[in-house]
Amino acid sequence: MKARLLASSHRIDGIGLAPAPSLDEALHQACREQHRRIDRFIQLALLGAARCAGGRPLDPSTALYLGSGVGPAGNNIIVQEQICRDKVLPRPFNFVNTLGSSATFFVAKELGLEGQGWWVARRGATFEALLELALTDLELGIAPAALVGVAEECPQPVADQRRRLGVKAETPLAEGSHWLLLEKGGGPESLEAEFELQGEALLAALALRWRPEDAVAFGPSVPPELRAELARGRQEFTPAFPGEHDSAAAAFVTDFLENKGDGRLHLVAGLAPNHALISVTPKI
Amino acid sequence: MKTPSVRVAGLGLACALGLGLENCVRSLRAGERPARPLSLEGWGDPIRLPFYSFPDDGRGPFDPERLERMLPQIAEEALSAAGLSPKQRRRTALFVGSTAYGIARAEGEYLSLLERAPGSSFALSRIGFQEIRELMRETCGIEGPDFAFNTACTASANALLAAQRSLSVGRFDHALILGVELANRTTLTGFSGLQLLADELRPFDARRSGIVLGEGIGAAVLERGSGRLNFPGGSSNSDTYSVTSANPDGSSIARLEAEVLARASLKPDAIRGIKAHGTASPLNDAGEAAGLRKTFGLLPPLTALKPYLGHTLGACGIVEFALLGGALAEGFLPAVPGFSQEDPLLGVRPLTAAAPAPDGTYLLNYFGFGGNNTALLLEKSA
Repeated sequence: MKARLLASSHRIDGIGLAPAPSLDEALHQACREQHRRIDRFIQLALLGAARCAGGRPLDPSTALYLGSGVGPAGNNIIVQEQICRDKVLPRPFNFVNTLGSSATFFVAKELGLEGQGWWVARRGATFEALLELALTDLELGIAPAALVGVAEECPQPVADQRRRLGVKAETPLAEGSHWLLLEKGGGPESLEAEFELQGEALLAALALRWRPEDAVAFGPSVPPELRAELARGRQEFTPAFPGEHDSAAAAFVTDFLENKGDGRLHLVAGLAPNHALISVTPKI
Repeated sequence: MKTPSVRVAGLGLACALGLGLENCVRSLRAGERPARPLSLEGWGDPIRLPFYSFPDDGRGPFDPERLERMLPQIAEEALSAAGLSPKQRRRTALFVGSTAYGIARAEGEYLSLLERAPGSSFALSRIGFQEIRELMRETCGIEGPDFAFNTACTASANALLAAQRSLSVGRFDHALILGVELANRTTLTGFSGLQLLADELRPFDARRSGIVLGEGIGAAVLERGSGRLNFPGGSSNSDTYSVTSANPDGSSIARLEAEVLARASLKPDAIRGIKAHGTASPLNDAGEAAGLRKTFGLLPPLTALKPYLGHTLGACGIVEFALLGGALAEGFLPAVPGFSQEDPLLGVRPLTAAAPAPDGTYLLNYFGFGGNNTALLLEKSA
């Protein structure tokens, strides 16, 4: 499945011991509206989506696909602590913002979208799931364009979040917002993806697409042996991120597009043994 | 572009009406409305509310093992009806919709932690949709890719829609769609705080005053082809009027109904009946009635299922799809109990007695927080 790549945005911040940086000023710069009763997760989503749109008017029928591996974690923690620990009813906006569709609401409102607005997740491969649905809908002509994004929040304190995620005490964590704007068709700037590829089919698909100036990258769930086999003789793209979050594949793609690497990027991602091969061709 | 229809190969259902689709349809036909009182202690004055819970199994509504116990059973009902072999199951894609996923279990674990270590911060170590993926793999042999929808009360309706589209372009041979909503403290206290709850569900009635919550698990297996019950697809859109209700002027809902009919190349008079979202909240019923009036010159027979099973939130997409599918197969459209006083501002009158359900296409409406609107079509064929 292939789509024309119209725009992208990339943001990733390492989250240390200090309070996470405020997003208020960046939001003020990026958004047309001042949105009320939103939490940090919605701020991250809004910021990435607005930057991806870049001030261009979108067709109101553009379909929106937003997701996250861990979702509005900070708000969910507040709500659980209100209910279970403090024995108070959750505040209405906290409760409503536990739903992913609150974030799609604010993104749609900001960008004037009236088309489909879906929130979809797949732990460890949310971006791949969103892309698969968006490309299917573009192929069917459900919408003229697709705005596809992930947002990953890292609530403080980081040590508590590491425990929740089950990662080592020294693991650096990040939060991010990574977005693509796609429309049906191909062209000089494009994204092509195949999903549920296993073994020989994955090797063959990569060999077919490969050109010497290209680079290959790997999501975190690609087994080391497979990774070694696929990387042999190929230039590898390994961006330096300040920390981990649950949507690594999205971060790889939008980082590559932002930094306009030479050639194309072929990202092997997804959850083993069903891998996705996502190829992006940036504007050279 | 019209997407090819897919066949409903199997259905499974658990709700307040019973366990198993056949039992639920039998209770529906009998007109049962099994809401029961539920009490939540510990929040100042106790919260007492009617709730449509599963038939009592003696373990209480907050039993943390419920998901693991009941979900495979209902999924298996649909998978067995579809007759999928182990090989077919391994390649089957999983589409899930819920608002709360496994939050009841996370609440239980957190409350246990607070007993051991008062004042602790929330230690969510589980992600509900990941658990469901693993549960389906272990118990039902489903190994295809998974998609977890969280678009509030349209979640499993959108899961159905995405599955239908994926099948229609040949991405998969089979899809298992699940909707899950189990009793939990987060939802019950959250809706109490929003003051949207009522003592009785009366969709479209002049005395309607809000929703009554319920729990449900629905399952469907879809496959390419056609049969006696087919799913031609639907449409979904966004309404940015308010994060908690559709525009009461009906404009976004009328736009949705027009899209779903256009995609299926149908005229309004081809619709044989409508299953309304029918939450019985003043604003949402106003928006739905206005949208339907704008779309249909003469309104087809109108039913609503929430008076029988409560508002099952993210599960209602598949739960009401399965229950309506079961009723259509039995040849009837259920009445809307609780309706007796027409609201002149709405101008719609739902069925007050069960009606015959002829072959043809039926419209199913779903609306959710976050301005998410979805309409589906269900086709009964000879």
